[in-house]
Amino acid sequence: MEGTAVAVFEILRFLIIHWKCNIDVSKGALLEGQLEISIEGLHSKHQANALHCVTTIASAGSLFGGMVLKKFLKEIQSTLPGISAKLTWTSEEGSYPQDMTGVTPFQMTFEVDEKPRTLMTDCLVIKHFLRKIIMVHPKVRFNFSVKVNGIFSTEIFGRPNFGTIESHCSRIHPVLGHPVILFIPEDVAGMDLLGELILTPAAALCPSPKVSSNQLNRISSVSIFLYGPLGLPLILSTWEQPVTTFFKDTSSLIDWKKYHLCIVPNLDLKLDRDLVLPDVSYRAESSEGDQSQNMDPQGQTLLLFLFVDFHSAFPVQQMEIWGVYTLLTTHLNAILVESHSVVQGSIQFTVDQVLEQHHQAAKAQQKLQASLSVAVNSIMSILTGSTRSSFRKMCLQTLQAADTQEFETKLHKVFREITQHQFLHHCSCEVKQLTLEKKDSAQGTEDVPDNSSRELLAGTNGQAENKRLKRGSLRMEEMRALHSARAPSPSEAAPHRPEATAAPLTPSGRAALKAHGRALAPGRVSLGSRLEVTERAVRREGCGGRCRPRAAAEGSSPRAPLFPQDVLWLQEVSNLSEWLSPSPGP
Amino acid sequence: MAFAPMGPEASFFEVLDRHRESLLAALRRGGQEPRSGGSRLASSSEVLVSIENIIQDIITSLARNEAPAFTIDNRSSWENIKFEDSVGLQMVSHCTTRKIKSDSPKSVKKFALILKILSMIYKLVQSNTYATKRDIYYTDSQLFGNQTVVDNIINDISCMLKVSRRSLHILSTSKGLIAGNLRYIEEDGTKVNCTCGATAVAVPSNIQGIRNLVTDAKFVLIVEKDATFQRLLDDNFCNKLSPCIMITGKGVPDLNTRLLVRKLWDTFHVPVFTLVDADPHGIEIMCIYKYGSMSMSFEAHRLTVPAIRWLGLLPSDLKRLNVPKDSLIPLTNRDQMKLDSILRRPYVTCQPFWRKEMEIMADSKMKAEIQALTFLSSDYLSRVYLPNKLKFGGWI
Repeated sequence: MEGTAVAVFEILRFLIIHWKCNIDVSKGALLEGQLEISIEGLHSKHQANALHCVTTIASAGSLFGGMVLKKFLKEIQSTLPGISAKLTWTSEEGSYPQDMTGVTPFQMTFEVDEKPRTLMTDCLVIKHFLRKIIMVHPKVRFNFSVKVNGIFSTEIFGRPNFGTIESHCSRIHPVLGHPVILFIPEDVAGMDLLGELILTPAAALCPSPKVSSNQLNRISSVSIFLYGPLGLPLILSTWEQPVTTFFKDTSSLIDWKKYHLCIVPNLDLKLDRDLVLPDVSYRAESSEGDQSQNMDPQGQTLLLFLFVDFHSAFPVQQMEIWGVYTLLTTHLNAILVESHSVVQGSIQFTVDQVLEQHHQAAKAQQKLQASLSVAVNSIMSILTGSTRSSFRKMCLQTLQAADTQEFETKLHKVFREITQHQFLHHCSCEVKQLTLEKKDSAQGTEDVPDNSSRELLAGTNGQAENKRLKRGSLRMEEMRALHSARAPSPSEAAPHRPEATAAPLTPSGRAALKAHGRALAPGRVSLGSRLEVTERAVRREGCGGRCRPRAAAEGSSPRAPLFPQDVLWLQEVSNLSEWLSPSPGP
Repeated sequence: MAFAPMGPEASFFEVLDRHRESLLAALRRGGQEPRSGGSRLASSSEVLVSIENIIQDIITSLARNEAPAFTIDNRSSWENIKFEDSVGLQMVSHCTTRKIKSDSPKSVKKFALILKILSMIYKLVQSNTYATKRDIYYTDSQLFGNQTVVDNIINDISCMLKVSRRSLHILSTSKGLIAGNLRYIEEDGTKVNCTCGATAVAVPSNIQGIRNLVTDAKFVLIVEKDATFQRLLDDNFCNKLSPCIMITGKGVPDLNTRLLVRKLWDTFHVPVFTLVDADPHGIEIMCIYKYGSMSMSFEAHRLTVPAIRWLGLLPSDLKRLNVPKDSLIPLTNRDQMKLDSILRRPYVTCQPFWRKEMEIMADSKMKAEIQALTFLSSDYLSRVYLPNKLKFGGWI
């Protein structure tokens, strides 16, 4: 990762931190706006076999308005001392008319000379970074374009404007763990923090059991995503060797044997893939001679999100956050090792809940399948035993089957479709269908909002999601009490029951968690990626599986048609921050 | 006479004969008992077609991408049950229903089990074989879980198809016994003579199939408990008060026992009396014979004998006979609740004497078993109590 990528990371980070700290936004608002990032590379006149890359980052509107532009330029320049880049601001203060909101669009450019291969790598790394940002900032869109020697490609990363309403909930359903305070080793040089680092884990299975309920496979891989303050992806200083010491020891995370899993680090991660690249990836291998796991490549992926946020009793300054971010990128491993017991306890608790849900879902699915088999076999028994030809004929004709074998196949299929449909409708964050369906009050199915109120769900924090958030939360006072203690056990953590409510937080604690939640705004994986990726391919490649080689310069349509299986995968984690979005204010 | 006279002289039965006349007169006044509604005896082909129609409906729903569901009457809901003096408890014509859906996680299993049992019934009817509910349960006990599940589904199917359980080729296991002045021929040609000494005959499993019933009995005595029944057998009661018929369901009666009592009434219109313990449980058992049960209300017209009279043990008998207190048992909380429940039932309203007896029990807060009469003598029941009751009309 060279100059271009580093510069883009730093600039974007700076912009987001600046926005969060300096712009007066209403509480609960999500980061919103569009950024254009374009890289143009031409043969360098100063270096042989190198490209002169001009990178432009521009904002179309309200995202970063109100900044003092020159001050920003100065500050950002100071954070990029190692970049031999020429950083310019191409829009003067006041030269652009302000819109009604009093904000100003801006554009900044920097130039770097790089080898072509380095540029290609940088572009891939940037794309992954953008994907990770929009996973937790759903209202931010990035238009990333690259032009090298006349060859142009562009991709859009961000929430699409869906024209269709999903017929069922295809989101993952993360479980939020309880936050824990991290300990900073004494020998870690750094700023004097006037606050605490809080780690909040979140875990989910992908694909969601609610979607692939008929394919509740074993866990075949584990993917970990690391986020720093304000939902910014952590780019570790050892990013090229993403598996730090802490994560290399797989048992440091949780007790995998409890789930009959043998986890080994997966270093076979390639940049040139259209999917979100995890920061840490593990592969599940069979344990205790269980061969079926090895033979089942299409298992589910356990997604683990580790959010490290900064909490302080005082108003947090921009540079303070910047410093925390820097601290984390360079010393995350040491911090996690120092906080090993609390980290492990919190992650274990979270994963326990997810896998318990998975287990329960698998059991429910098994029961459902068993019942359907009994129903189908019973019908077949009557059909094949009947001596009344008119009855048999009528049955076959009704399902358009040529014979009883085909009839049985169709019977299985239609029963499965009908029951899966209803099974998915028990998801608490589902959307209403286009066709009005009769509500079954006996079943107690919940009334679901329509697609147009998806943002409303994201913004107002749907009840089910809120319950999950509350379930995992600990009072700040309790966290402090546990500061020097062992890792909190699940019994000490917030109760699991949905009706449990979080104990009232201190104002600063509440604000911190809200800030944390605001940072984790909903986001979607890029749709600019070519949408040929099928669910099967994704599971094969998966979060941590082998990648599919893909030319970086390949052009793609920003509005490719959506296929259900593609949408499913692309929404892998995109709903993450929807349920982490803040509650409407005290 | 079909049988050699061993019992009392003819004058003994004068009151009984008058009672029988009054019953017959009431029958003539009211016409025959209505046979409308509820289940009926259906032919095999009718049952097969009914089941096939259900399957067709399911397939049609599936073809329309709609989740099929069974609509089941709420058999055990008081709002769906009415009381008629001539019939007893029976289901209303337009009763509330519930749906057993195939696309609900809560009910998909029951939906499947109903189909499973329907397919088993289909095979039984097609092959003209029979099975008991127990047999069905044991075909796949793991799938069904417990016998109650099977029993309820069979009743639901019977109610849904409006055919008798017998028509579904499902037998209920008989546990009842019968003794006395009765003979008949079973469906398979077996001749049965219930006249006996110390032994009784098991109630047959195919009541609808028995024919050529013959009796001279002056009365039918339904005995609640097997212990009392055996005691009466040992005391040669059937011969001492011959001609008569004794029957027991050994507690809560099974379907066949109830069907047999009903058949005896329909065939001979012989007065039917009950001998139950003077406790709420005994009264409830008596009510089942007379008025029917909630769960089987859809078959009430085939099972109930509203003409039944309460012979003993009456709570007022306890006082009259000076039964000592140490032979009495205090009512438990459960007894109290059951007694209150019976008093609230619609049929008690038209039985003021029964109500009065139950109020005596409620006031005294005491109950007694029939065996309490042994304080007078070991054979007081068969030698004194019952003969006096029957001779002098001591029934209500």
